[in-house]
Amino acid sequence: MLRLVLSSVRHNAGRYLATLVAIVTGVGFYTAVGFISDRVIDSLEGNVDAQYGNVDVAVIPEDPTTAEGAAHDPAELRISQDSVDRLLALPGIEGGAGILTGSVAFLGDDGRAFATGATGRLWVTDPDLDPLQVDSGEAPTRSGQIAVDRGLADDEGLEVGDDVTLLTLAGKEPATIVGITSFGDSDALDDGGTVSISEADAFDWLNSGQHEYETYYLRGSGDQQDLVDEADAVVPSGFRAQTGDDFRDDQRETAGTFGNTLKKGLQAFAILALLVGGFVIYNTFSVIVAQRLRELAVLAAIGATPRQLKRSLRLEGLAIGVVGSVLGVVAGFVLTLLLDLVLRVTGNSLPGSGTTIGVANVVGGLVLGTVITVLSVMIPARRAARTEPIEAMRDAAVESNRLGRTRGLICLALVVLGLAATLVGTGIATIGLGLLAFMAGVFVGAPYIAKGGARLSRPLLERVGMEGRLAVDNSIRNPKRTATTANALLIGVFLVTLVAVAGNSMKDFAVGEVNKLQSADYLVTSTGGTIDPTFVSKLEQVPDVSRVAPFRREPVTIDGEATVVSSGDLGDLTAVANVRASAGSLDDLGPGKIAVLDTRPEAQGSAVELSTGSVQDQHVDVGSTVALEDNRGHQQDFTVVALIEPSLDSVQVGSLLDPDTFDSLFGQVAPTVAFLDVDSGAQSETKDAINDLADLRPDITVQEGNAIGQLIGTIFDFLIKAVTGLLLMSVVIALIGIINTMSLSILERRRELGLLRIIGMTDNRVRRMVTLESALIAFLGTLSGLISGLVVALALVLSINRLSEATISPSVPYLELVGILVLGVALGVLAALVPARRSTRLPVLDAIAAG
Amino acid sequence: MPSASAPPVSTAARAVDARKTYGAGEAAVHALAGVTVSFPEREFTAIMGPSGSGKSTLMQCVAGLDRLTSGSAYIGDTDISQLNKTQLTLLRRDRLGFIFQQYNLIPSLTARENILLPMTLAGTRPDPEWFDTIVRTVGMGDRLGNLPSELSGGQQQRVAVARALVPRPDIVFADEPTGALDSRTGIEILSFMRRAVDETGQTIVMVTHDPHAASYANTVLFLEDGQIVDSMEAPTADRVLDRMKRFEG
Ligand SMILES: Nc1ncnc2c1ncn2[C@@H]1O[C@H](COP(=O)(O)OP(=O)(O)OP(=O)(O)O)[C@@H](O)[C@H]1O
Ligand SMILES: [Mg+2]
Repeated sequence: MLRLVLSSVRHNAGRYLATLVAIVTGVGFYTAVGFISDRVIDSLEGNVDAQYGNVDVAVIPEDPTTAEGAAHDPAELRISQDSVDRLLALPGIEGGAGILTGSVAFLGDDGRAFATGATGRLWVTDPDLDPLQVDSGEAPTRSGQIAVDRGLADDEGLEVGDDVTLLTLAGKEPATIVGITSFGDSDALDDGGTVSISEADAFDWLNSGQHEYETYYLRGSGDQQDLVDEADAVVPSGFRAQTGDDFRDDQRETAGTFGNTLKKGLQAFAILALLVGGFVIYNTFSVIVAQRLRELAVLAAIGATPRQLKRSLRLEGLAIGVVGSVLGVVAGFVLTLLLDLVLRVTGNSLPGSGTTIGVANVVGGLVLGTVITVLSVMIPARRAARTEPIEAMRDAAVESNRLGRTRGLICLALVVLGLAATLVGTGIATIGLGLLAFMAGVFVGAPYIAKGGARLSRPLLERVGMEGRLAVDNSIRNPKRTATTANALLIGVFLVTLVAVAGNSMKDFAVGEVNKLQSADYLVTSTGGTIDPTFVSKLEQVPDVSRVAPFRREPVTIDGEATVVSSGDLGDLTAVANVRASAGSLDDLGPGKIAVLDTRPEAQGSAVELSTGSVQDQHVDVGSTVALEDNRGHQQDFTVVALIEPSLDSVQVGSLLDPDTFDSLFGQVAPTVAFLDVDSGAQSETKDAINDLADLRPDITVQEGNAIGQLIGTIFDFLIKAVTGLLLMSVVIALIGIINTMSLSILERRRELGLLRIIGMTDNRVRRMVTLESALIAFLGTLSGLISGLVVALALVLSINRLSEATISPSVPYLELVGILVLGVALGVLAALVPARRSTRLPVLDAIAAG
Repeated sequence: MPSASAPPVSTAARAVDARKTYGAGEAAVHALAGVTVSFPEREFTAIMGPSGSGKSTLMQCVAGLDRLTSGSAYIGDTDISQLNKTQLTLLRRDRLGFIFQQYNLIPSLTARENILLPMTLAGTRPDPEWFDTIVRTVGMGDRLGNLPSELSGGQQQRVAVARALVPRPDIVFADEPTGALDSRTGIEILSFMRRAVDETGQTIVMVTHDPHAASYANTVLFLEDGQIVDSMEAPTADRVLDRMKRFEG
């Protein structure tokens, strides 16, 4: 039996080509994704050890959203040098490292800033806690010395010994590069490059001279938990101490979660591509069974049992599946190497070093490819088992173009029930099942679509001539095969449409909601520096800037919650920004009085949830008393006189104090934030001018007022594009499916094509016939995918609206949909290129020769 | 239509010193070894000979389905060795008709559509009277709407014959048209072909193995080893059989 199978595979090698390509593509994609994500995960997790390997106690902000690296968060609390001294004085503590970062940039000789995304870091002197290695030169230990990371050095042509001008919060600072650093496998610890600054300069340059840290890491001897218990007593408010092990686990989990989510997401697309490949495999085997009917019947006649026939087919499937999967795994590895190489050549690189062949990925790819192939062969194998000896006597394979009535009923039931469940279901499970049922119905009913659609298109295609007519007839001749071919395309188009329509609807909704909120035109923030009067007047001099509202802001905790408190000219603030009271009056502010953000449930708009992330549990109202604590542990009670309506701007302001009270708490500090109002219709020159001012001050960032709206729009656009791109993989496999089906049916119809050519159909017309049929199949697949995608997206939007009381209005990107349809037909034409050429390559006489 | 309006030429098709060689050197097979032959207009010519003698090759080369190794073949006055692929296809479509032993019809087209296929391809309309005459004569009047799969082998072959005749081609080539049929159906097909020659002046060239089939022709040509070795006017089945027996020895 095995011999028969092997010889059959060898004999039919050409026909299996498409099957193989489908499996190899899918499995290759799957394993490549696995290899790459594992490498990313490994390197991210490895970085955790490189960075925090010797930490025994980590003193980190209580609020998990303000972890290290979120240095630009205006609400950030710092650890004062006092607290640090107390921590270091604890018994068992042997050393510590404080983290302090801030934006820096370099000023070139031409007066232009470069490396504007770089992060300045306080150089960690404790060798055991230092995350960076010095590759060449030495560590920055004295004032005026800095070290830059390897990547920055390469990109900007910096060398040890170079004298540079560093743009810092303190202004332009001359510095000498004394060392080049690297971090684990990568160049830099920070995305835009790392500039290490000696202890002598770091506080001045990064933190306005204050000796403060974002987080602090301790190492010591003895049990970590004991050390933590000791530290707890001296940890400042808003911070907590954690054992090094727990901290590393958390960090690893954060890194790993990202990597694993990425991996799962990408592999889901790979599996989808493989499933689409399943259609191709199913189709190939169906056709092969039909073509080999005579051979199978002879086998049946000489005594092969249905079991044996079935088994022979399944074994063929298994053989193909295994071969395809093995090739796929190899292809996946090669793909990974290629990607690495391409990235390297283009000056980028995958994180981590070297790709390891993860056993799980290899096994996963092999199993997945093989199982899907064997499953896809099940139905054709059953058909083979049903072969009657009598079929050996029949002239040609009897083509079944009749569709059973049960199929119609099942299809109808699935579609109706599925849609009903989606539209009235109250749980995600019901809705999900409903959508699945609907799609199953579409698949079951696809042969009807093929038949009906082809018939409907007949009048149009008949105008092309006889070849158009025959193209339609051929696609109807075996509607199941046409449908399976089209279904492979349908899946991809369905998902692309779903993502486009549902994604666009939600994007429009989210952006619309955010844009409903009024906001100032620009928000200018200084991290570590100040918005001094000189800078304010520079801003005011920019054409079209009508008003600047600078205000002071300090991180505090109010009733234990980390937040900010601000103070500024109320008239400016309310005029320029959308800051207004929702209860009480801002005019009542005075000594011992405060206005806080309205956190009552009725005031919670979607915008605040989006931007603050945390919603306070207890609700403060006018007249309540709140406890405010600053960085240094001073605490004072205030009476609430007003609630501030949540808006994009008021979130920036946080709570409001009157200027005198603010002075008494924090001293006469300068403003660090400003709202900007520009004349409506201001040109992009205004924006450029503001940005130019900000570029020369590394501490200053400029945000457009509705930046969140734009950001959300950008994120949605990116997601839609990324998902669409990944779905293209399954479309490519569907394309292979069409090529395959057309090639096989050309083989099948060899004599018929020969006859047509003999009695006078020119080769051009024969090729056109093949192309038209292919385009028709592609059109049907694309159109049904488009329609079912639209239906499901609309049903989904309706369900979301019903369940969440949102009012998402469906937005259909018509232009894109038409584009998809055109693209689908174009793919069909493309897929026909090879089969069409093949259809006329055989000399006519061979084509009609018997046998 | 061509044959009706063309000036009276005596030959519908001919071959001059036609040679067809398959392979080369030792293994060369001379399927046609210098055949010169004419097929007179309005006549029914049969080609006979032992298996492998070159009958099909001769027919295919004259009909423009295959190219000669040397020599030339003419349809009317057209030297078909001068034509390119497309010109040959159009020549076949407009001036020739074909009947094969098997696989003659397009399965997705009805009998009527199959019959009209060459004219549909050419974009010409059939003469309705002529169409009716042909269909009536082949006795397919009531089954025209059926698909080939719904017709018997004999009925399918009648449709094929009708398809070859309806466009009134200059010449109809038939390669063992009755080879796959039972003798009664074969006789029906043959008598219909005979009537087409007698009543409408159709020219037919038929390759056959069957002496009885050959007896329907005006002339029988005998082929052996790629050469014409004999011919017989007004053949009868018995005389043809006798002549064929001589090949055995
Ligand atoms: N494509 C080919 N390649 C090689 N040899 C061929 C080819 N076609 C035909 N021949 C050879 O040419 C010779 C003539 O073949 P042809 O088909 O014309 O014979 P035939 O008289 O029609 O025989 P039959 O009565 O069996 O149909 C044979 O010897 C055959 O083997
Ligand atoms: Mg022959």
